[in-house]
Amino acid sequence: MIISEHTKKTKRQEKIAKGFIWSFVVLTIVILAWIVLYVLFRGFYFRNEVSYDVTNIKEQQIVLNEEIEPVVFIVHPKVRVKDLTSEDLSTIFTKKRKEKWGPYTRQDLRVETFILQGGTDFTDSVIDFLEGPEQEINKYATTVPDIDSMLKKVASTRGAIGFVPASALENTDFKVKIAPIRRISAVVHPSVKEIVNNIQMQELSTDELERIYRGEIKNWKEVGGIDLPVKPVLPPDDVPYSVIKSNLLPEGEFGPEVVHADSFDDFCSVMKETPGAVGLCFYTDVLEKGEELSIEEIGRVESGMNLTIHYLIEAPARSGAWGGISTIIINTFFLIIFTLIFSTPIGVLGAIYLVEYAKQGRMVKILRLGTETLAGIPSIVFGLFGSIFFVNMLGLGIGFISATLTVTMMILPTIIRTTEEALKSVPDSFREGSLALGATKLQTIRRVVIPAASPGILTGIILAVGRTVGETAVLIYTLGSNYELVRGPSSSARVLSLHLYNMFAEAISFDRTFATGAILIFIVLLVNYSTTRMIGRMNKMAGN
Amino acid sequence: MEQNETKLKIKVDKLDLYYGDFQALKAVDMDIHENKVTALIGPSGCGKSTFIRTLNRMNDLIDSVKIEGNITYDGTDIYRGYDVIELRKKIGMVFQKPNPFPMSVYDNVAYGPRTHGIKNKAQLDEIVERSLKGAALWEEIKDRLHRPALGISGGQQQRLCIARVLAVEPDVVLMDEPTSALDPISTSRIEDLIDELKMNYTIVIVTHNMQQAGRISDSTSFFFEGVVIETGPTEEIFFNPRNKKTEDYISGRFG
Repeated sequence: MIISEHTKKTKRQEKIAKGFIWSFVVLTIVILAWIVLYVLFRGFYFRNEVSYDVTNIKEQQIVLNEEIEPVVFIVHPKVRVKDLTSEDLSTIFTKKRKEKWGPYTRQDLRVETFILQGGTDFTDSVIDFLEGPEQEINKYATTVPDIDSMLKKVASTRGAIGFVPASALENTDFKVKIAPIRRISAVVHPSVKEIVNNIQMQELSTDELERIYRGEIKNWKEVGGIDLPVKPVLPPDDVPYSVIKSNLLPEGEFGPEVVHADSFDDFCSVMKETPGAVGLCFYTDVLEKGEELSIEEIGRVESGMNLTIHYLIEAPARSGAWGGISTIIINTFFLIIFTLIFSTPIGVLGAIYLVEYAKQGRMVKILRLGTETLAGIPSIVFGLFGSIFFVNMLGLGIGFISATLTVTMMILPTIIRTTEEALKSVPDSFREGSLALGATKLQTIRRVVIPAASPGILTGIILAVGRTVGETAVLIYTLGSNYELVRGPSSSARVLSLHLYNMFAEAISFDRTFATGAILIFIVLLVNYSTTRMIGRMNKMAGN
Repeated sequence: MEQNETKLKIKVDKLDLYYGDFQALKAVDMDIHENKVTALIGPSGCGKSTFIRTLNRMNDLIDSVKIEGNITYDGTDIYRGYDVIELRKKIGMVFQKPNPFPMSVYDNVAYGPRTHGIKNKAQLDEIVERSLKGAALWEEIKDRLHRPALGISGGQQQRLCIARVLAVEPDVVLMDEPTSALDPISTSRIEDLIDELKMNYTIVIVTHNMQQAGRISDSTSFFFEGVVIETGPTEEIFFNPRNKKTEDYISGRFG
């Protein structure tokens, strides 16, 4: 092959340059994709570690004592409850004010409690269990006469919770949901929680608890605690304590060191006297015995779908901690639509004037410089202007109309600039062709120039929509933070970006913040995709 | 062929045209006769395009243009006696590069009539068909009327532009180098078309192509540096030029 030294050198340089460009491009794309995917992932899926006073052992049927049938707690099928602790149950039934499901299921839904008519052993035992040592069933609970009407009521009342004997659910047509209950706590001897060498035992996981009882963990330091031998203790074999054993390790493969208590008193005394002891009992026992049994917290990983359909269609409550974001999505679309109604005609007509009619002199140059500068000004400056001018001077107040006008001011330069470019890119031959046919200037602009420029104009409008969707700084001072549906021109509202900002700033929920971010990304993707399709179709119609 | 037999369509008298301070046309006199093809030839920058654009006042679009002298169309001054819209309806123009609008073939042809207020669908259909037939495009394009005009070939686009002009039912058709962007086959088709069109229309054509001027035109004017050097029947200009410059240009010594 014939190749000169100089050509070789040039080719080598070219290769190096290509390598640099390629690696920068790949790096940028990887970073951008990572950001988007991270937000989408966190938006869709949550995974949190939460500590509880009770273990993760769930009981569908709860054996309270030997004399009565196991009890099952039932809820209305729309209540999205996965499980409840016995403490939750007791709060729901005994708290002085009416509870909402929010703390347990994130639903903005009132709890309707139902109890069976008293007088039977079954009802009295369950109420005893719910009341605990101190509280009483609250006045909001509705008493129903029999099991059938209980099932009927719970199946038909939104947010209902009640209880029935386990056998009642075997042959019933009523659609109710069983709420599994967690009521088994792990307790430890106080020595386990002591601080030695700056180390203190933190929470245990359910898995670690099982391994302790299998005899696989012999020292507390293996699970992050101090150097102290583990002494696992099991409660007695009689009802109701026998369920603890069978629920923890159904196969019964307990380690040889496990101490089996003969009675509950025996269990308590062993727990009290053995350093390093860990035992299992009911949460209600801990409440009764007080300081004799000290609770070891159990951590569990809670994960699942974050961005559910419920999140999209429910109205927000409690600053966004409960419910969904439906009203906020609608507010966002309202803001986009009204901003476009104000800004598109002004922007497009202004650009038409600048390009088609204005004499291209010094004045137009200054105007152009002005719009260019305005397009680059930080949005917070527009926010400041809006809050002083629209909110205060014009007295419009913080609300939808002030926000719409301020955002209009902000996106007008963008629309004007892009429309101008689009109009300028229409070849003069189109204008000449039309004028030579005897069309007037207005006819030419309306029927030839604007249709030919419409893909470009549309691009500008989409850029403006993108800015509107993502705008936060302007809206903080002009739109306020009411998360309800916007009711009129002066009602304060919240849009997605503001909601995200507020939930993040007020540390309401990271999961929900990310879910909102994911929705924002989706809206922008949707808008961009549909515009690309539209522009594609327009170009196809025009034959470009 | 005797020119006196036909009616005088456009008369240009002592036309001076300035772009700012630059004088592009100097005392141009010209007679354009009905149902004849008048060719304007000359080297680049000689003012022939500027001249043809004054005939339907396309130069009005340029702010710095100043015009002195008289142009009469059917005896009426086009600057003082005609509204520019009315004038352009009568005197249509085909440009150097095909410039169909970015819409369908049908809409392109119907654009002129629609602009002038014809809304009736049947009437528009009839005009479109007649105009496309007039531009010898109907047979090729009748199945693709609703396809985008920018998707057809360059030669077809140029004939579409001619059809678009014919749809307005003009009297005079100005053509500014209509074949310079086309291949030889498309060019010959346009030339054939011009030959047919002169039955019904008066045609003024600017061309760079000497053979084309010789083939299609009845009379020819030679422009040089803004001045009409020589004008007369085409055969005379080509075979027996009176002026030395005309002879040099036609024989290819410059230009």
